[in-house]
Amino acid sequence: MAEAVYILCALTSVACAVLLLRAWKRTQSRLLLWSGLCFVGLAVSNVLLFVDLGLLPPTIDLYMPRQLSTLAAVSVLLYGLIWDAT
Amino acid sequence: MLRSMLNGAVAMGWLACALFFLRFWKQSNERLFGFFSLSFLMQALTSAASGLIDAQDERRNYIYMARLVGFLIILYAIWDKNRGNRRR
Repeated sequence: MAEAVYILCALTSVACAVLLLRAWKRTQSRLLLWSGLCFVGLAVSNVLLFVDLGLLPPTIDLYMPRQLSTLAAVSVLLYGLIWDAT
Repeated sequence: MLRSMLNGAVAMGWLACALFFLRFWKQSNERLFGFFSLSFLMQALTSAASGLIDAQDERRNYIYMARLVGFLIILYAIWDKNRGNRRR
């Protein structure tokens, strides 16, 4: 059950990233680029989540890489919102 | 301690993004921005919640479910936007 949620988190975030980047290619709207890149980071974080909690033994902990990729994703979006998209 | 700090930073970041999108929504009346704001608010709440509960806590799974709902909101928002364009 938990693994299914991790996989769905990963799949939906990848889908968000693909759709947003496709929309950016079509419209060239910078806001969509930053949102798309943010979801790429989130997709990485969610794939790591599945690998960490679903595949790897509990002795290996990927909490930090997961958290750092999420932080990177947020920072990219905030950078875009503050410096570029407005 | 570092973990909670990172969780807090991420939650704050999401909250800031949610507020930006809330402003865009108010300005443009575009539903897409409203959904984005809602989704990022959801991410902020999950980050704050995972900073507050223990890693071994069984309720951790609900946090990831809330995160999933946040992503589904974005997918719905994009679908909703595309549908609107086609109709126009």
